[in-house]
Amino acid sequence: MTVWLEELAAILRGWSGGAPDFDSLALRVHDFQRAANPVLRRFWDAAGTGDPTSWEQIPPVPVAAFKDVRIVSGEPEVIFRTSGTTGGERRRGEHHVVSLDLYFAAARGNYRRHLIGGLESVTVVSLIPDPEDVPDSSLSAMAGFISREPEVSATTWAFHPEHGVDASAVRAAVRNAAVTGEPILLLTTAFALVNLLDELHAPADGRLRLPAASRVMETGGFKGRAATVDRGTLYRRVESVLGVPESHIVNEYGMTELLSQAYDKVAGTEPSRETSARVLRFPPWVRTRALDPATLAPLPPGEPGLLAHFDLANAGSACHVLTEDYGYTTDDAGLHLHGRAPGASLRGCSLVAESFLRATEGVARR
Amino acid sequence: MPQDHPIDAWIWPPAIPAPSTFERARAGGLMIRYPKSDHNLAGVIISSLRRAQRDLAVLETKELVAILGAVGERFAQGPDDRCAAEVAANSELSPAMAKAVLRGMAQSWTASALDRLVRAEFRHPGVLDGFVAEHGRGIRAASPGVSVHFGAGSVPGVTVTSMIRALLVRSPVLAKPGAGDTALTVRFARALHRADHRLAAAVAVLYWPGGAAASADWEREVLTRPDQVVVYGGSGTIESIRARTPATTRLIEHPHRVGVAIVDPRSAPAAPEDAARAVAMFDQKGCVSTHLILLLGSRSEARRWCGQLAERLTALGTSLPPAPASPGELSAVHQFRGRLAVRSAASEDIEIWSPEGPGWTVALAGGDVFEPVGSRTAWVVPVGDQAACLDVLAPLSPVLQTVGLAGLPTDESGLIEDLIALGATRIVPLVRVPFPDPEWFHDGRRPLGELVRWAELR
Repeated sequence: MTVWLEELAAILRGWSGGAPDFDSLALRVHDFQRAANPVLRRFWDAAGTGDPTSWEQIPPVPVAAFKDVRIVSGEPEVIFRTSGTTGGERRRGEHHVVSLDLYFAAARGNYRRHLIGGLESVTVVSLIPDPEDVPDSSLSAMAGFISREPEVSATTWAFHPEHGVDASAVRAAVRNAAVTGEPILLLTTAFALVNLLDELHAPADGRLRLPAASRVMETGGFKGRAATVDRGTLYRRVESVLGVPESHIVNEYGMTELLSQAYDKVAGTEPSRETSARVLRFPPWVRTRALDPATLAPLPPGEPGLLAHFDLANAGSACHVLTEDYGYTTDDAGLHLHGRAPGASLRGCSLVAESFLRATEGVARR
Repeated sequence: MPQDHPIDAWIWPPAIPAPSTFERARAGGLMIRYPKSDHNLAGVIISSLRRAQRDLAVLETKELVAILGAVGERFAQGPDDRCAAEVAANSELSPAMAKAVLRGMAQSWTASALDRLVRAEFRHPGVLDGFVAEHGRGIRAASPGVSVHFGAGSVPGVTVTSMIRALLVRSPVLAKPGAGDTALTVRFARALHRADHRLAAAVAVLYWPGGAAASADWEREVLTRPDQVVVYGGSGTIESIRARTPATTRLIEHPHRVGVAIVDPRSAPAAPEDAARAVAMFDQKGCVSTHLILLLGSRSEARRWCGQLAERLTALGTSLPPAPASPGELSAVHQFRGRLAVRSAASEDIEIWSPEGPGWTVALAGGDVFEPVGSRTAWVVPVGDQAACLDVLAPLSPVLQTVGLAGLPTDESGLIEDLIALGATRIVPLVRVPFPDPEWFHDGRRPLGELVRWAELR
């Protein structure tokens, strides 16, 4: 890890208010990446944008590029991989992370504030796999960080990548917590949460009430899954089955290719809003823009477009990332996410890339 | 298109009472309405079609060809503006492209085309009407019974072609068009109903959202009652239908495919024009659409050729414009182009030609980078010789269908044999790629031969 990345991690840890100048840091990171990563240097040179004077002028790297090319400035300590639900192994993106400490620095303050704030002691129940089972999952790595926080008295890993949700482990953890009344922090993907709720709905068990002040961090969508459910319905089910009110359910938005995350509320401490009106917020070292889908020109707040994030914590890879997500920014730098960019619903009988990759997976390329 | 007046996505034999409750859905730029799911209805429709088989069976092939062909002729002569606008909105093609597609597809629906199809398929076309003596026995190409046809997505005319083939072999048909092929299929079926009462009794079209939970009971009935099921679609659709179709029901599958071209630019000056059309037609959503072009020659020759292809694709953007792209499609184009730009920066030999907007993309790259992208994207791979073509195409073997040739003789038996061995089932001059002839071997099968039930009498 370079001295500069260590310094940046320290800056993120100590970031308060508007103290550091975002643009100067962004340009410094840009210089660092230009020097350390010839691929990015050539990519930016080919884009012909010259020497940028603000972060907005640095061309974003499309998230799909993480599937093809090692985008890294230095030697990676770990490689995180996307789930690859749509297209198999050959479609998995890879984020080569030079500094786990930088990831920790970017994630920690934010999850502590949104998920653990106000608790002296908490039991973690994770429907996100144990990082020992899935060492290349950035989400599991973050769950691992959370499990090691001083307030966490115990952690139950209740999801296995092959066997799915372990409802009996969840029940046992809740029973133990009920003895002391210690709140539970349930970390989960939306898909695993639906599975848990379905399992707990079995007549023999009925509802499983989590102790008071328990909270839920829910992340991700239903990419590649047959069944989907809207977030409002999901949260009402959580309240009904687990006894956790919507005010204590926090949505996290993150992606393998970004080391910082956005949250849509602080658990339990803000008045509840309509779920659909919630606004995601990144830490101050991330800037998000919605871009016109046709021209990639920036759009004003309120107008939906393709989302591009500039995350200083990505200093070891690529800070400016053009995603496939669709949403709009708000006047106060919040983010409203619609999900994947809509469209292309009608297909013909020509093969598309994902099916092509699946169909040709077994045929060796020469 | 007025959005508050949905078009009917159904028509069925007049003997069946009209539905009274409907669902609505958006299909491309159209609102459509279809009868509310009622699994009892499946039995009613299939039974009604089965009763129609007797009347259909007595129609002689000549007469059938004449009736079907007369209807097809009207579409081949050029659809009226209202029809073209409806098809364009439904399939999310531009009006000009929708007209071109309709004209091209309907060339296979005329009486002369259908007659040619029947003659190409059967040495004695009389086998469709009765027993014909052959090698000491009587042979007969009998009706397979009632068939259900599942169309694919949004290429207008795919379901109509499938429906016509079924009727030619005297199979009463329930056609479920893809969402984007609903308007044309219903219009064609309506014309058949008007043309002949026996066809009216033998043709039903009904759209429903395939695979939806609300359609599960209905689909179970629809898959267990007919004698034959024909399905066009992606792997997920085909696997799902395969799993639910009884072993005793004949299932004919047409999965998604990919088309390629092999071009020797020195002998094919018109190849850029032909390749551009093969890429652009159907907005590259057809199973015959060309995605990958192998160019015999050096990289610098390929670079020059890509420039010519780019010019032709630009011109087609005016004469056959693409439909406005959705945010999702635009996103895919940005991701794809950006991804190639990063790969290019990582010292891979990739060069891109593209307009500022979505429109089209030409990528000059190595063969191992290829994957079909759509949105009028042509991958051009320079190859040293024909053997190198086969190396590039080998991974495409499971999905290969049409190979367009330009500047290469189609009697080049060594290459042709190798292409067939790889899985190619249609090898044609590049200029003929977009619209197959009526008798083409669709995915390696005889278009009528795969439908009939052969019987012998000794």
